[in-house]
Amino acid sequence: MVALARKTLVYEWRRFLPAMLAVGFAGLLQLLQIALVLGIFGSTSLYVTGSSADVWVGYPGTQSVGLGRSIDADLQSRLLMDPQVLRVEPYLWVDGDWRGPRETGGASVFVSGIDPAADGLMFSKVLSPTLRARLVEPDAIIVDRSALDQLGIGIGQSATINGQRVRVVGIGTGLRALGGVNVLCSLDTARRLDNDVTDNGPTYLVASLRDPARAATVAARLRGATSFGPYTTWSASDFAQRSVRYWLFDTGAGAGVMFLAGIVFLVGAAITSQTLVAAVNGSIREYATLNALGVGVGALRKVVLEQAFWVGALGLLGASVLGIVLLLLARSQDVPVVLNAPSALACIILVMGLAAVSGLAAMRSLRRADPATLLR
Amino acid sequence: MNTMHSGNLIEPARRPALQAVEVSKAFVSGHQRTQVLDRLSLAIEAAELTLISGPSGCGKSTLLAILSGLQQVDGGQVRALGSELGQLDLRALERFRLQHTGFVFQGFNLFPALSAFEQVELPLNHMGLTRDEARRRARQSLEEVGLGQRMRLRPSELSGGEKQRVAIARALAKQPELLFADEPTSALDAANGQIIIDLLHRIAHSHGTTVLCVSHDPRLVVHADRVLAMEDGRILSDRRNQAPLSDSRGTPS
Repeated sequence: MVALARKTLVYEWRRFLPAMLAVGFAGLLQLLQIALVLGIFGSTSLYVTGSSADVWVGYPGTQSVGLGRSIDADLQSRLLMDPQVLRVEPYLWVDGDWRGPRETGGASVFVSGIDPAADGLMFSKVLSPTLRARLVEPDAIIVDRSALDQLGIGIGQSATINGQRVRVVGIGTGLRALGGVNVLCSLDTARRLDNDVTDNGPTYLVASLRDPARAATVAARLRGATSFGPYTTWSASDFAQRSVRYWLFDTGAGAGVMFLAGIVFLVGAAITSQTLVAAVNGSIREYATLNALGVGVGALRKVVLEQAFWVGALGLLGASVLGIVLLLLARSQDVPVVLNAPSALACIILVMGLAAVSGLAAMRSLRRADPATLLR
Repeated sequence: MNTMHSGNLIEPARRPALQAVEVSKAFVSGHQRTQVLDRLSLAIEAAELTLISGPSGCGKSTLLAILSGLQQVDGGQVRALGSELGQLDLRALERFRLQHTGFVFQGFNLFPALSAFEQVELPLNHMGLTRDEARRRARQSLEEVGLGQRMRLRPSELSGGEKQRVAIARALAKQPELLFADEPTSALDAANGQIIIDLLHRIAHSHGTTVLCVSHDPRLVVHADRVLAMEDGRILSDRRNQAPLSDSRGTPS
């Protein structure tokens, strides 16, 4: 079989270049946007992804980690009765108003009260053992390096949260929050900072399991006890996704992503289909000749579709190479970018879908390949 | 395949390969209606080169389009190799053309990206031939048109006359019973035009192909077995140039 589509693409590559660039940039734009959004909003699930707990227990209907309510502390013994559960610890979330030593105005802080024990689950992946140990001191707090200017404070200095004095004993990294500043302290310190009278227990109980792979199953069977007040359970990955999704859609960022995807698709498809139409028109007499010789219209359509496929594939290849370079560059500059398999797959589907739609649009111009017109 | 249908109408041995019966065709543009062909009847014999000549606009290209099944008639019938073309739908017409017809056009209509060999092989791929058979036929017909040494070249590396020979090889490789040529020499100089018409003549005689050529080129007239002069949608004269068919068959020109 003579590979007409591929040979034409190679021989007349200049003709197809605009389409490949359009497809490539459409893919790249979408890829970077998704990576940025996931990077930025990924920090809303830091509390889950930075910790080694497998199951989270919190107030029913909680949409994001920062929006929990207190639950019954006695649940802890209920959880420990499950043979899979290895360790349970409370996690207390307190919204705080920060007043620093320097004039910074008000700053909103998210106080995370955690178990400072060496084998504690919360923030085990982002907090070094020595830093964690310093939280045992009363009123000790740890903040992220990036928040020091925002809070107007340095290590060893004191400030107040909700009117209570705290002292910075350590500086962590990878603790950035969205819409505020994360402050880490011990459970005891956090309870002292909590001035909400309705809080009468931890915001969450987090548990590690003997077999982390069974998180979803265990979470499901820990649900439904009625004697401890309202609560529900999630596997860690479910809860992390829940938080990210809440932020994506609550802030309109998700709608923004979809909107841009639509624009990118339309613009890319317009350019690509026009290029393919021009390529078909450039060979319309040859196509008509083939049809005169009895090669069916279906076979000619396949040639156009195949060209669209290769344009998509080559554009995608270019976008991938450039995208990886740009993502690495962004990482090196501390720009939060995250790319996971589903979003990469979404980009691939978008780009190939764009190419397919363009090919279908270009196929229509084959109608002009009427061999009778060659005889006039 | 369809030879039995009209066997009782005419003597089977001399049944025409192509037949138009009372064919009419008009084109409408705006309110203007132009009658191009008006109740025209015609029979084309197999294994000879028939030339339809006449001034431009006389309807000869339309007649070619109708006889080759590229255009539908308004009235009348067209029979090709025993098939009634008006009865075939678009798919069946494509299939008929694939099996039985070759075309050579005024423009050479070659894909710029393909070598001469690939131009010829491409339509054969769609005929259900094996790869080897398609390649064998492609090589054979390129050799037959004298391009055996130049079949790896692309159109941009070939002269006009060579391009037209590639187009002829492309049609010839299908081993069609019917070969249609529309002004095949008008884009070429005298020497190349001569080569092309000689080739068409030889194909008719050595392959037994019915070659129908439309041209206003007066140089071609002497090379045709039969010349039909056309004007205003009617055939004015019909004359034979050479000895009976049996004499010229198999004789290289």
